[in-house]
This record gives sequence, structure tokens and C-alpha cells, in this order.
Amino acid sequence: MTETITMSDAKAIIENQIEELAKRNKEPEWMTRIRYRALEAFERAPLNDPVISEEELLHFIAKPEIKGLPENIESLDDLPPEMKALLDRLGISEVEQKYIAGLAVQTDTGVIYNQFLQEWAKRGLIVLPTEEAVRMYPDLVKEHFLKLFRVDESKLTAYHTAVWNGGIFLYIKEGLKVPFPLHLFFLIQESALAQAPHIIIIAEKNTEFHLIEGCTAPILVRHSLHLDMTEAYIRDGARGQLTVLQNWPEYVHTRPMTRARIGRGARFINTTVGLGTGKSNVANPKYWVDENGYVELNGILLGQKDWFVDLGGEMYLQGKGAGGINASKAVIMDESTVITRGIIRAEAPKTKGHISCDALLLSDRATMETYPGLVSKVDDAELSHEAAIGKIREEELFYLMSRGLDEEKATQLIVKGFLEPMLKDIPMEFLVEIRKIIELAVSGGM
Amino acid sequence: MLKVENLRVNVENKEILKGVNLEVLPGELHVIMGPNGSGKSTLALTVAGHPKYRVVGGRILFNGEDITNLSPDERARRGILLAFQVPPEVEGVKIIEFLQQVLVELKGMDPVEAYDLIVKKAEELWFKEEDLHRYVNVGFSGGERKRLELLQAVLIEPKLLILDEPDSGVDVDSLSIISRKIDELHKRGTAVLLITHYGRILEHLDRDDLKVHVMKDGRIVKTGGGELVERIDREGFSEIFEEVGA
Ligand SMILES: Nc1ncnc2c1ncn2[C@@H]1O[C@H](COP(=O)(O)OP(=O)(O)O)[C@@H](O)[C@H]1O
Ligand SMILES: [Mg+2]
Repeated sequence: MTETITMSDAKAIIENQIEELAKRNKEPEWMTRIRYRALEAFERAPLNDPVISEEELLHFIAKPEIKGLPENIESLDDLPPEMKALLDRLGISEVEQKYIAGLAVQTDTGVIYNQFLQEWAKRGLIVLPTEEAVRMYPDLVKEHFLKLFRVDESKLTAYHTAVWNGGIFLYIKEGLKVPFPLHLFFLIQESALAQAPHIIIIAEKNTEFHLIEGCTAPILVRHSLHLDMTEAYIRDGARGQLTVLQNWPEYVHTRPMTRARIGRGARFINTTVGLGTGKSNVANPKYWVDENGYVELNGILLGQKDWFVDLGGEMYLQGKGAGGINASKAVIMDESTVITRGIIRAEAPKTKGHISCDALLLSDRATMETYPGLVSKVDDAELSHEAAIGKIREEELFYLMSRGLDEEKATQLIVKGFLEPMLKDIPMEFLVEIRKIIELAVSGGM
Repeated sequence: MLKVENLRVNVENKEILKGVNLEVLPGELHVIMGPNGSGKSTLALTVAGHPKYRVVGGRILFNGEDITNLSPDERARRGILLAFQVPPEVEGVKIIEFLQQVLVELKGMDPVEAYDLIVKKAEELWFKEEDLHRYVNVGFSGGERKRLELLQAVLIEPKLLILDEPDSGVDVDSLSIISRKIDELHKRGTAVLLITHYGRILEHLDRDDLKVHVMKDGRIVKTGGGELVERIDREGFSEIFEEVGA
């Protein structure tokens, strides 16, 4: 860090960006007011990040773009050679590669809006860039935007709210069951702005959906900090699934902020597949679960290099019979550190919660820490946790090798097998690539 | 084919095998018997290349090549297969995917061709197609585990098949299919080294060309023909041990 950025420098920069966004998005005044409220909160809000200091954050605000990447990527040949080689090795098609390189993504919308979705729009499925939703469905957005977060919770929530851009708005009309997974991949490569997409999901009563966000292939991003925020409302009887696929490059710090409210008898499965977690990944999603509702937080993590991953996850079981499961499986390599600290709070009778944490350490320098938290305010809740941290068992490795698989192939098989039970809800087309990436990572090829 | 010369093996710095000599020629059927703890599994695992079993003396030859320091997969590629006494559970790895990969890697088969072969042979060992989507050995009964070991042998058709107590913890029906499959493999030319406690498994096998070795305390103390099996079944080991002064 060469120059010092002061708080007032940063605030001036944020203010400029707010003005620019308001103009560009032809934003209604109420939204711009929210941004200003966030700007005002930014200075006094605390920053309790284990990795990013205030100085670094201010510096990032002034210069969000990473240095050292190719200036202009106009064709796939301009990609860094290692990345191009990796994409080829994964067998990723040219069209997808363009996507990943940011060549096929529009800077102002970022959401693919095709014929297919338009058909479904008639039946009550709305998928829109969040900016557009603000203009087209102001009442719906107003009612759900920043209702699960407080703007001044932290400097990161405040900064996100002030400059959020991109993201999607997903609305599912009561009773509508979307029979196919919606895969949305949005990446805004506008260098001057922060990566701060805002996602709103409203699944009305008795709906069904599966949203898959992100992609399994490594992506070329231009920012060193990624701050997305997701607010999900899963109404009574709805069944929702949100699968987040990530493969961040090693210079990116990611701070995904996810919260969901789960209605009576509703069910929400939130799975994150972190194939590349980036330099650091700190997340503490929160879920509030009503009567007989159910939430599942699944984390699949591949810790590599010197990456730092700190995953929380807080569940408030507020209605009678509510249930929650927080399960993670981590494969930790090299000098990577993974920490999990799930908390389940039983606040109503007959609630059930379970935390499980499994880790496979592939290196002596890898670190795993787990701190499960179970808090009960009632006397008939069932809360439990289990953790297993270990290495590959010699007996298993020998067994597979004695059938003619070499050590690398046998290790890959064991690692894939370790993660397999968690990948049960991931569609096949992603699984194939996920498995290939795990194989490459295990054999040190990433 | 297999020649074990004066083999001494340590496990966790304790000497377990104290000089074992054994030669198995192509197509032969050898049986190793002996009380618990006499070193039978240690011999089998050492021949298969388990890293925990350290060879501190002697050597293992396979088709004239010294394989004492080869990794387990290299031994498998040369045609050695061990059916485990206690095959481990491999969580998350489906039988079908595992066997497919083995046939692709070891025999250069096409995956689709491998799939069909696995399903067909599995049926002969009473595994239905849906059973093959279970994880390897996870939650398997004793009989299922041993049948899965035999399925692998039938698919791989090794030059030398070492079977470590394929008959222990197995129900009567599984026992008869297992012993028939061993006989089938043997008749097709596989040399067999069979470790067992009981004569029962040998019912389907031709006793005339058996070679029987009796182990005690890390040594082979007696070698003979099929008649030794009946004798051990009848009177146990103690008389034989007395006779040879072991
Ligand atoms: N993995 C091991 N770790 C420690 N001791 C072992 C191990 N394997 C075998 N032994 C010891 O070696 C001896 C022979 O065991 P084993 O070869 O399993 O005999 P058998 O198969 O004839 O019953 C026993 O005393 C046993 O305790
Ligand atoms: Mg044994």
C-alpha cells in the first residue's frame, strides 16, 4: 500500500459512486436515500473482520481493481496462460470460457434473460436484474430490501448497501413450482465499482424452486473484494434450494452475506460448493425458522494454498417443531486454514438441530478448527453435534491401490467419496465438472 | 510364479514373520492354515505390499522379478490380487464407479464395456444392479463383503489370487458360491493361495492337487497334501505341532 486513504477520502469516493449509480440506474429516490443512509452509517459501523483491516478496506474502496491482470481482455487469447490452460484441461467450452473471462457478460444487466424465462414469467416467475426490479416492482423491493440486515451492523454491510450493483431479483408467485433449476451467473466486470451484487429471493406460499448461482470453473475477476448480499424469504409451505458454486482466484477476499426467513412448514436448503474459496472467505449466514419449518446449510470446501476460510451460520428455531442442520465437509490441503462455527438456537418447543463437521486433512500444515454452538431456551429441544477431523486412512488407500490404482488416483477417489454424500442435490452437469476440479486440486494441478 | 524367500517382516517394530519360504507355481492351489495370530494375514498383506508391513529380511519374487519394494498398485498390475480378510469401508465411493475405474486402469477396458461386464458378473455373485450403487463395503454384512471381494477377483482375473479367510463370517449359501467361484478361477488358470481355518471351503475344490502349509508363530512348520486338511479338521493343530516339534 503506497498512499494512505483516509475515512473522508473513502466517503467522498462512495458518495460519487452513489451519484453515478443513481443516475445510471435511473433509480427512484427511496433507493438512493437508502444508499446515503448506508454511507452515513459507514464511518461509525464496526469492522470485525478477521482478515481485512480498516486501512485495507479504505484502500480497496479507492482502488477496487486488482493490479497485474491483462489490461483489456478482448479475446480468450488475452487470458493469463495458466488460466487458459486450466480451462482447457477442465474441458470447458469456448462459449463458457468467454463467460468466465467476462467477454460475454453485459456490464449493466448481467442476467441472461431468455425466451424460456419469458414463458415462465407469464406464470408468475420473475427473474430480473435487481436494478430493474427496483424500477419495475418498487413496492415488492421496498418491502424486502435490507429487511434481514441492519445497515450499520458492520462497515461491510454499510459499504455494500451504499454501492450495491448487480444481482438478481427472483419472485415466485404463490403455488408455482419451477421444475428446473435456474442457473444464474452474474459477474459485473466494471472496474471502478465494487463487486457488490444484491440478491432478493421471494418464494411465496407453497412454491418450489432451485436457484444455482455462480459457476464451478475458475473465473477471472478484476476485484480483490467480493461483497454479495442475499436476502431470501421462503414463505409458508414453500420449498427452496439455493446452491452457490464458487471458484475464486487466489487474490480475492469474499464476504458473502446470506440471510433467510423460513415460514411455517417451509424448507430451505442452502448449499455452498467452495472449490476455490479465494484468499479469504468469511461468512456468517443467518436463518430464522418458523413452526415446522426446516433449514439446511451445507458447506463443501476445498481449502488450498494459504487460503483462510471462516464459516459461521446461525439458525434461530423460532417456531414449534422447527428444525435445522448445519453440515460441512472440508478437504484441506497445503497450508490452508478452515474454521467452522455454526450456532443453532432452539427458541421454541420440540425444535431439533444438528451440527456436523467433517474434515479431511491432506497436509501436515493444513489446519481445521470447529466450534459448534448449541443454545437452548426450552427444555424439550433436541440439539446435537458431531465432528470428525482426520487424514486419509491407510487401510482404505491400500485397499484401492491393491486393485491397481496409483496413489494419486486412489487419493482422488477417497476425496471425491468423502465429499460425495454432500453433493446429492447438485445437478449432473455441474457434478462432472466439480469432480474434475477436485481431482485436479488433489493432484496439485490447480 | 510367486517365490517367497526367507521372508522376515516387522509390524510396528515387532517381528511377526520369522523366515517364511513358499513357492507357488502357475495354476497351483495352495492352502495356508494355522491358529489365530500365526501370521497368515501378515504374509498375505506383505505380498500385496501393505506399507505397514516392513520387510526386514528375505525377498519376494514374482515371475522372476524382485517385487519386495514395489508399491501395491504396481504389484496389482503384475497380476497379484488379495481378497481381504476384513475389507475396509470406502465412504462415498460407489461400487460400480470403483470397479469401472479399476477395469479401465488395469485392463484398458472401455467404461461402457466395463459397466456391462460388471453388472453381468455381479449377478453371478448375487448383487443386483442397484446394489452396485451402494458405497464400497459400507454397511455390508460379512457375506456381502466376501462376495464383493470375489467379484473383484472374477473381474480382474489375476495371475495369482490370494484369499485371506474368504470363508470366515460368511453364511452357508454365500460360502458355496464363493467356493464355486474360486474353483472357476482356478480352472481358468489362476494360481490360488487360500488362507483358511476350516476344510469346508475346500469342498468344491479338487483336493488331489492341493498343497497345504501349516503356520505357527511366523513360520511354515509343515507342508503336505490334501490329507493334512482332514487331519486338522479332525484333531486340530496341536498333534501336528508336537510332531514337528514346533
Ligand atoms: N497391523 C497390525 N498392527 C499390530 N500388530 C499386528 C498387525 N497385524 C498383525 N499384527 C500382529 O501380528 C501377529 C500375526 O497376526 P496375523 O498376521 O493377523 O495373524 P493371522 O492372520 O494368522 O491370524 C499377531 O500377533 C498380531 O497381533
Ligand atoms: Mg488373519
